[in-house]
Amino acid sequence: MAKTDIDGPALKRLLGAGVKGVARNVELINELNVFPVPDGDTGVNLFHTLSRAWEELEAATDCRAGAVAERFAYGALMGARGNSGVILSQLLAGFADSLLEAETLTSPSLAAAANAAVKRAYAAVSHPVEGTVLTVAREAAESLDEQMPIEEMMQTLLTRAQAALDETPNQLPILKDAGVVDAGAMGLVCFLEGMYEASCSAPVGMALTAPPRTRSAPPSPAPVETYGYDVQFLMRGAGLDIDAIRNDLEQLGWSVIVAGADGVIKVHIHADNPAPPLDYAVKTGAALDDIVVENMELQAAAVRRQSGQAAKSAPLAVIAVVAGDGMGRVYRDLTCALVIDGGAGKNPATQDFVAAINALDADEIIILPNNRNIELAARQAAEMTEGKRVAIVPTRTVAEGVSAMIAFGDGRDAGLAADATVAAMREAALATTTIEITRATRSTTLRGIDIRQGDCLAIIDGRIHAAVADYEGALLDALKAAGGDSKELATLYYGADLSPAAAEAMIALLSQDFPNLEYEAVYGGQALYPLIVSVE
Amino acid sequence: MISSRIHIAADSVCDLPAELASSLGVSIIPTYVNIGEESIADDGVGLDRERYYRELPRMAAQPTTAAPSPGDAAAFYQRILDAGAEHIVSIHVPESLSGTLNAMRLGAETAGMDKITLVDSLQLTFGIGLQVWAAAELALTGAGLNDILERIQRVRDHCKVYAIIDTMEYLRRSGRVSSLVASLGGLLRIKPVIRVDHGDIEPIGRMRAWSRAEQRLRELTRAEAPLERLAVLHIANRVGAESFLESIRDIAPSDTLVIETTPTLGTHIGPGSIGVATLNRNWRR
Repeated sequence: MAKTDIDGPALKRLLGAGVKGVARNVELINELNVFPVPDGDTGVNLFHTLSRAWEELEAATDCRAGAVAERFAYGALMGARGNSGVILSQLLAGFADSLLEAETLTSPSLAAAANAAVKRAYAAVSHPVEGTVLTVAREAAESLDEQMPIEEMMQTLLTRAQAALDETPNQLPILKDAGVVDAGAMGLVCFLEGMYEASCSAPVGMALTAPPRTRSAPPSPAPVETYGYDVQFLMRGAGLDIDAIRNDLEQLGWSVIVAGADGVIKVHIHADNPAPPLDYAVKTGAALDDIVVENMELQAAAVRRQSGQAAKSAPLAVIAVVAGDGMGRVYRDLTCALVIDGGAGKNPATQDFVAAINALDADEIIILPNNRNIELAARQAAEMTEGKRVAIVPTRTVAEGVSAMIAFGDGRDAGLAADATVAAMREAALATTTIEITRATRSTTLRGIDIRQGDCLAIIDGRIHAAVADYEGALLDALKAAGGDSKELATLYYGADLSPAAAEAMIALLSQDFPNLEYEAVYGGQALYPLIVSVE
Repeated sequence: MISSRIHIAADSVCDLPAELASSLGVSIIPTYVNIGEESIADDGVGLDRERYYRELPRMAAQPTTAAPSPGDAAAFYQRILDAGAEHIVSIHVPESLSGTLNAMRLGAETAGMDKITLVDSLQLTFGIGLQVWAAAELALTGAGLNDILERIQRVRDHCKVYAIIDTMEYLRRSGRVSSLVASLGGLLRIKPVIRVDHGDIEPIGRMRAWSRAEQRLRELTRAEAPLERLAVLHIANRVGAESFLESIRDIAPSDTLVIETTPTLGTHIGPGSIGVATLNRNWRR
């Protein structure tokens, strides 16, 4: 048996091959998104989680198998993005904990570690759902027999995982409806496939190259948003390529908005240094106009002075994940201490939350993930935090988060303790109905609704409600279903691609059918969702 | 005509209706609204409240408000003393929000400090009025200074002023309570429910819809029942005030007043707002 044991360097090679297995399938995994909305990001999330794990492993010097697993798991924990990323990181952490400081991986220790991994992952999820990566990992691990040679174990893990993956549509009706297998589980299979291929194809100890970045690999995530400068200007000139300019500017800052036509492009960007975006714009040959540069740190300090808050410390502070510059401003305006730029299609990693928590001088911190797929990474960060109390208010949308922020302000005014504030925020979020309007990214049938690619989708509190030809129809239909007749206020947060006039026109239309509602249009600036409507 | 030994005086921010002030023998010193070059006294003569509030949203420049001058104050006190009052209890808008009390103090130094007792009501609008009303009733019985001051204190402890601010725009323009404005934010339309307490305006609820704000105001008002006195306050929103009163008619005393708030205050709060000033029946105990 000894000759088949896996030592540290060999384990490192296998893990690297697993990362490659996921990296080459990022797009495939993304496409397994159940909902035809433009935020299919499981592949991207898993790739980022594993890339971070690999970076950590490459920097490590201890080459015992246990240490290799521990470094890889640590990197995954910090890099975990999206619910699938978090669960994968928990699997790896359970695996590593089981190995402790072992020099090599043996058949019995692999079997034990695989089962420990599954146990840890199940424990990390408050309501484990079968038909997901959890089921696939469990069935694969349970198939191991510690008498098996390690090569056979690798193969068994893969074949059982594949069989379990194929079964996921039978366990989760939503998968069957959408005609897909579970994306997170697919990711695990790709990982195991990479490891298996390496175990049988190459000699132990072969030099490992870094996992390739696939063409579909996304840009690196926006880190925690610092204040920096708000830079706005117009670019005038013929033949300006909006998409190319947007791509280039995204390398120079965050909250980038590039919009326009007919020789005039409006640029909005946040940057640590205002010079590079301006320099870039001049070099395109465009004439710059209406240049506005604002120091957001000084503005923030002025607001803090005005509001009588000490700049240094608040006993209780909120971190929120928000997409869109307008939406970010709304949150800061409501005294959110730190906004992480992210959301659908751009899930922050655990380490982003850890950095945000560390950046705040507050004893107690409340996180608003504003997305179901971001909540677990936030929880993982909370659990890794020492010395500060971190609570998660599990908001599912930015609109719910705004309601929670308003309750936060009331709680502060009333001098409520943190626990009571969190409870009030949770209640406020639950009392808010969110309608999201977007375009279907592909044709499918879900819950009896026929959806064609390009349809306008109305999503009510995360459930697809209607697929029709235009935004107006989708919103009217959804507002009716959301009980608009008996509600009081509809707030329309319009995205980067919708004009204020279009939002006002939408309100004029809505008020014909719902005359008793109060309305408000607010610039959100979010991508992908032209309208996010909060109904209270 | 000054009949009681101790005379009660106040500024026009107390919102005591003119007939009531007259029947209680209360003297009111006007505060001022400055519109452009013109300074207009809120004395019930020069300033038509309804018309002022109708025009306020369209005014090019935000009007400002002003305290009486120390000279006004001295003359005001002198008139009362000349008419035969032995002592004046003078009840005013909080020093934390207005220069009025300071002007009255300077005026009192001229007229005779030993004959005048200044009181910071720590309240606004009819929250001051309730204190003035109760003090004047007691003064008419010939009560002494200490009894009157003690009564003012008790009324203050049992009265509440709550309001819904319809739009934050006027508070923002006025700049008088910038901390309140900053804490409420400016990007979303928020209708704050506020409380006046200890001379300060505090937000107690950030409401997003008027109907919700009104519901909150109703709950807060009901929590003060049983009521000895009630005034429903408004700024250019009599219809709103009256329909609000209908919704709490079961707890409203028969002599409930509907009062349009003084422009000296309303300029900073803005048209559309409604509120209440309540006095709980337990105040005598």
